This record gives sequence, structure tokens and C-alpha cells, in this order.
Amino acid sequence: MDTFILILTTGIGLGALYFLVACGLTLIYGIMGVLNFAHGTFLTVGAFCGVWAATHLFDGTTTLGYFLSLLVGGLGGGLFALLMEQLVIVRLYERHMDQALVTVGVALFVGAILSGWFSNDLRLLPSPPWFTDTFELGKSYLPKDRFVYFGVSISLLILLLALLKFTRIGLIIRAGVENRNMVSALGINVRLAFSTVFFLGGLAAGISGVLIGTYQGGVSPLMGGSYLIYGFIVVVIGGMGSLPGTALSALIIGVLRQFVNYYAPGLGDFVIILILAGVLLFRPQGLLGKVSS
Amino acid sequence: MNLLKLNEVHVSIAGSHILQGVSFEVPRNRVTALLGRNGVGKSTTLKAIMGLYPAQGEILFGDVRLGNLKTHEIVRLGIGYVPEDREIFSSLTVKENLSLAEREKNPDYELVFSLFPELKSRSSQRAGTLSGGQQQMVAIARSLLNKNQLLIIDEPTKGLAPKLVGEVAESLSRVAGNSTMLLVEQNLSLVKRVAENIVVMDQGKIVFSGDPSNLNDESFVTQYLGVSGGGH
Amino acid sequence: MTLRWKYSKHFLALLVAYFAVAPLLGFGFLKGPGMQQTFAVAFLWGALALTYDLLFGFTGLLSFGHALFFASGVYMTTIFVNRLEVNIIIAGFLAVLGTMLIAVIVGAFSLRTTGITFAMVTLAFGELGRVFIERNFWNLSQGDNGLPINAELLPQFLIGVLNTKFLYWLALLVLITVYISVWWLTETSAGRVFAALRDNELRVSVIGLKPSRFKLLSFTISAALASICGGAMAIVAGSASPRFATADVTIALLLMVILGGTVSRWGAVLGGMIYSIASTRLQDLNQAELVGKLPKIISGPLSEPTFILGLIFILIVMFAPGGLSGAYYRARFKYLNRNTK
Repeated sequence: MDTFILILTTGIGLGALYFLVACGLTLIYGIMGVLNFAHGTFLTVGAFCGVWAATHLFDGTTTLGYFLSLLVGGLGGGLFALLMEQLVIVRLYERHMDQALVTVGVALFVGAILSGWFSNDLRLLPSPPWFTDTFELGKSYLPKDRFVYFGVSISLLILLLALLKFTRIGLIIRAGVENRNMVSALGINVRLAFSTVFFLGGLAAGISGVLIGTYQGGVSPLMGGSYLIYGFIVVVIGGMGSLPGTALSALIIGVLRQFVNYYAPGLGDFVIILILAGVLLFRPQGLLGKVSS
Repeated sequence: MNLLKLNEVHVSIAGSHILQGVSFEVPRNRVTALLGRNGVGKSTTLKAIMGLYPAQGEILFGDVRLGNLKTHEIVRLGIGYVPEDREIFSSLTVKENLSLAEREKNPDYELVFSLFPELKSRSSQRAGTLSGGQQQMVAIARSLLNKNQLLIIDEPTKGLAPKLVGEVAESLSRVAGNSTMLLVEQNLSLVKRVAENIVVMDQGKIVFSGDPSNLNDESFVTQYLGVSGGGH
Repeated sequence: MTLRWKYSKHFLALLVAYFAVAPLLGFGFLKGPGMQQTFAVAFLWGALALTYDLLFGFTGLLSFGHALFFASGVYMTTIFVNRLEVNIIIAGFLAVLGTMLIAVIVGAFSLRTTGITFAMVTLAFGELGRVFIERNFWNLSQGDNGLPINAELLPQFLIGVLNTKFLYWLALLVLITVYISVWWLTETSAGRVFAALRDNELRVSVIGLKPSRFKLLSFTISAALASICGGAMAIVAGSASPRFATADVTIALLLMVILGGTVSRWGAVLGGMIYSIASTRLQDLNQAELVGKLPKIISGPLSEPTFILGLIFILIVMFAPGGLSGAYYRARFKYLNRNTK
């Protein structure tokens, strides 16, 4: 039973990280129809900004310092996403295939820059010592950092849902996910909505980068790749364009992966990929389809 | 005085030359009906005006050339658009659908709710669960919230039951009084009721422009609008 | 009036003849084993890019799992040589059969989807293959260590640095074979159907042909040809490695095909060869004195091949979507119409 709770906790923690990576992907695809292969790069850029902040701006080993660095990482990811959108995506308006292709190019190009500036080894991200402490629940010892990931994800999920439900830009985004052209036909400049979505996506990815850096013991230019693939898997299974779907699927996948890896080490990835293939073939719209909020 | 003027407008979509030199005028404060058989290019014409399709030729709104403007810029000049198939947002509530359409400080909800009281009572209902007729009301209401100089309405009674057709006709004629309207409509009794000017299209061109009383003439109807005259 | 140059076939034949005899000349850039090895690898990537172009450019199937078939060829050939101790021709042939089987299974599932979904499914299957290899399932692949092909079981003339030119010729032979196969496939009536599928699936089904059958055919043949490239790569590189199975390979293929231009066969081959040669040479740039003198902030990225290649990719997608061959045909069109208004 204690093992069960432990695996469940680590699974939820992992799922929380997946959600942070995936929520930007789902919004960007949902409203703009752009399959963003540079999303992993947003993650990595955010992670490096976070490391810089935690070592040069604040003291990452203090709780306050860490969370401020988290914010800086998020901002780094968000601003980078915005930059990419303005320089490159905007010029390929309505050319969806080309937009997807160009994000591949950006991922390669920026990835090369990061690899060129920093070595590919893991670079430590300072974090508060209590992250590695455990929390005692009955006979289980649950690592505290997982609770941090979960807490951050839930907070972001709530913030995003609130933004979508209660603000005008959120209304525009929800309508845009359904019918981009009609939103224009009501006199609204959807470009602003697009930029907002890219910024938010980058922000979430950047935050995930910092947390993943803590989770895996350091950041490196190569960290974006595998999490990007998991991001896509989560988004497709949850339903493109659906935030609740992404949250649900991230949770399921995180927990499932941990359980499978515990009982059959190494098979976790395998099982997840099989599930993806299955969902794509038998329920392509995902768990909660293309409906936002 | 003409509010809208099209001059030799050409539109090609996926290789098909759909509009082949459309020229007509929409006089101010009148309802102009754009008529023609299915497939002649009526919706395409409206979409070209709205900037939803790229067009060659000249489209003038007042003295502004619409050709190079983006759709949302065209709308902000004071044009309300009610598309074919309504295109309301099913996942949003009625209230949200309407508020999305607001452009100015004092949207005219009084007018909207007096014409369509149901929209007030169904404010929080998800628009996707509304009936066809109610969705049509939302679509029309959206264009009435702002002070639009021109209303462009594409087949508002399409797919509606006869009783609803009457209601839509009623609301349109009430609104028509104080605005300029360009209406595409297959239902001739509705057209006869509200239109003050008709423009007929065939094969991507305008073939007649003039008085709606011509619609009472059987041979006119058969010649220009196909075998079945009258409404459906 | 066709954009194709009247002498294009002659030109190609001449080019191939030159490449064939180049190592035998006592001079020129292909006289040494270093360049021969580089070009051998480049030929194979060019051929592989062409197999990808058959799927993407000609049939309109954006697959993100093509590395699976390439890696399958590499690993199966190596394993058959090592374990069954057969000669490379038989091993290669068996590998093709094995890969085609995989392709039929993967295709049967994935071709039920289209567009972005198809890309995701193929990505998933590709990743499945990579995981299978990396985790050394059934103890076949030796995982991250790679699987060297048993040199004692290979014909003598393929071993040793001095015999690099034979590897070079093997690779050239593979390229020619793949090119002719793709050419035959796309020029025959089946080829017309592939092109029609890319443009409008509905029309194809309306005239009574089943799109799914042709898609599966294109998919399987592309996989078979990729397997041949893989088998040759196992010999040229000397071992199988999990890096041949990663999504990075498929992305590189995408880059090659976009660089060269998707609608032309020679464009894909050219894109593949340029990418391959450029990425090897760009790595050498790091050692160059000039670059060493630059501050790390510039020299670091410059030593990564994907820096320049990624930038070129971005520029091509944004400003010259037809790639190199597209630019060529555009220029040719202008030239041919130079006298008209």
C-alpha cells in the first residue's frame, strides 16, 4: 500500500510536469492550428533563464528565491515564444504546414545555439533543500518536490481557466478555437489573441523547464526533446485545444508511466506510445475533443 | 447616394473563376436583395466584400477602398455581417456570443431584446443547444448591437421552418427601416416584403438591377431565377 | 513546353559516370579514402532522402517515423550477417522482407489516419522502434553500445581503409538502384496515382481506384528502399547504432527534402547529399583556425551543424518553399519565357 501511494505521488508529480509542457501546445494548436515543434525549445530557454536567475539574481536555495527564479524562467520562455511568433509565424499566416515546418527549423537553430554556448552536460539548478525532504503519510515517505510540481500546475491550470472564462481575451481565444474567421468577421483582430496564446504557452513551458531542471538534477540544451514528445502524446490523448482534457490526460499518463516502470522497468515509454497509437486510431479527437474550457 | 459600390469584381477560388466582373451599387437607407440561382456566386460576393476571399476589382464603402483591408478592419468601418449557416460559437453561451460582438461603449441590447426576447431569457444557455431559429436570432442580433451603417445578411431563413421564416422576416423589416441592408435570400416572399431594390446574378455576373415589383412577373422570375418561382 | 531540360537524362548519366570512375583517377577530390567515405555516406543519405520524398513529396504522406524503416534495415542486415552468417546480399534481402512486413503492419494502422494525425501515429511507431532498440529487447540490439557488423563475415574487399572505394561504389550502386526504382514508380501509371493522391484523394476514389491500397503500396515500397539504404549503411559505417532510429533522423530527412525541393527526385538526392556533407564539414569547421579565434558566443553555435542548416531551413520555408529544385525550375521558367511579355 505504501508503495502504491509512493508511485501514485511520483506519478502525479510527473503528470503535473507533463501538463505544464502540454497546456501551451494544446492552446497553440487549438486556436492557431500550428503544430509547434519549437515548444521544447521554449522549455529549454526557460530552464536556462531559471538557472541564471537562481544563481545570479536570486538565491535559488531559498524558497522565495526559487519561486522568483521560476517566474523568471516562465517569462523567459514566454518572451522567447512571442519573439518567435512575431518574427516567423506571423509571416506564414494561414500556411499551416509551413508554420509547423518552420517551428522544426527554429527548434534546430536555437537548439544549436544553446548547445554551442553551453555544454550538453547537466547544469545544476539550485533549489531549496526541503525539496528533497520527504513528507510522512502513514508508512510512506513522499518526496516533497512532487507536491511543488503539482501545486504549481494546479495553480496555473486555475489561472488559465479563469483567464479563459472571465476575461475578454479569454473569450476571444475560446471563440477562436472554434472558428477563427468568424471572430475576425465580428471586427476583432485575432492577431492579438494569437500572440497572447503563444506567450502563455511559452510561459507555461518555461516554468516547466525550471521544474524539470529541479526534477532531473540539472538543465541541459538537450532537455526539451523527450518532454516535447510526451507533450504531444498528452495533447493528442487529451484532445487538441482542450485544457481540461490535457490536464486529465497528463495525470493519467504520468501515473501510468510510473506504475508500468515499477512493475516492468523500461516498459513505461513503450506502453504510453502504444496507448497513443491506440487513441489516434480509435478515438482521434482525444478524451475531451476540441472544446475549450 | 450609394453606400456600397462594386466595380468589376473578380474572385477565383481553387482555380474556379467564380465572380467574373460583378458590378452593382447598394443605395443608402434601402434594402437591396441579391438574388440568383444556387451556385451563381451570391455568397462569394458577400464574402469578397467582407475580405474573406481575395478579390480583384474595386469595392468601395463610402469612399473607402475595401480591397486591401483585413476582415476585422472592414467590419470596424461599420458593417455588420450575418453569414450563411449563422456560424455562432456553440461552446459559448448566448450572452458570451453577443458580448463578443460588442464594439462600442453602448451596445444596443434594448433593440436586440425587444426584437428577440428569447435571447434574454436564454442568456446562460450554451449556444450549441439552441434551435436553428434561435441560433439565427443570435446571428442577426450580433449585427444589431453596434451602430452599423451597412448590414450584410446571407440567407437568414435557410433551413428554417415556415413559421420561423415569418418571424425572421418580421425582425428584418423592423430593422430595415433605419439602415442600409444587402440581403441574399432565396425566399421570394420575404424579398418582396422587405426589398426596395433587387440585383440579380447569373454565372458570376449581374444580369439585372432594378425594381422588386418585377418579382410579381412570372416570366421574369422564371427567366432570371430558375424554374421554381416563389419561396420554399 | 516542359521545364525539363532536353538533355537532363544525358547530364545525369554523365554525372553518374563521373562519380563512378572518380576514385580511379589519380587526381581530383575523390582520390583519397577520406572523401570517398564522406561521399559514400552522402550517397546513402541522398538515397534515403529520396525514399522519404516518395512518401512526402510524391504521395503527400507526412511521416515522422521513417527512421524506423531505415534503422530496421541497418539492424536486420547486421543481425542476419552476424547470427545467420549469410552473405550481405542475402542478409540485405531478408532485411528488406522483414522491413516490408513491419511497414505493412504499421501502414495498416497508420494509413487509417491522415494529415497531422498520421504524422503523430508514425512518430509514435518510430519512437516504439527506437525504444525497442535502445532497451535491447530480446537482447537483439545491444542497446546504446551499438552493434558492430562482424567484419570477418564480410567479403574481404569491403574491409580496410584502402578498400574504401568499394564501400563508395556500394553506396553509389544503392543510390542508383533507389533512384531508378523511384523513377520507374513515379513515371508509370502507379506513379500518376500517387501524385493524384497527393493532390486530391477524393478524385482518386471517385474514378474507382482505392486510395488506401496505393498509399499502402507507396508506404511499403518506400520502407523497402529505406531498408536497402540501411543495410548499406551498416556496411559503410561498420556497425548499427540506435541513433539511426531516432526522430532526429526523420527530421533531418525532412530538412533534406525541403532543402532540395519536394517535387523533384534529383532535388531530394541533392538535398540529402548537401546535408550529409555539410554536417560533416561543419563539424570540422570547429577545428579551423579562423573559427577558433572567434569568441565562443559565435564559434560555439557555428560548430553545430544544425545552426546553419536550421537557419537555411527556416529561410527556405519562409521565402523559397520549393527548395533548390524549385528555384531551379523557377529560373528555368523565367528563362524559357524571357521573350514573352
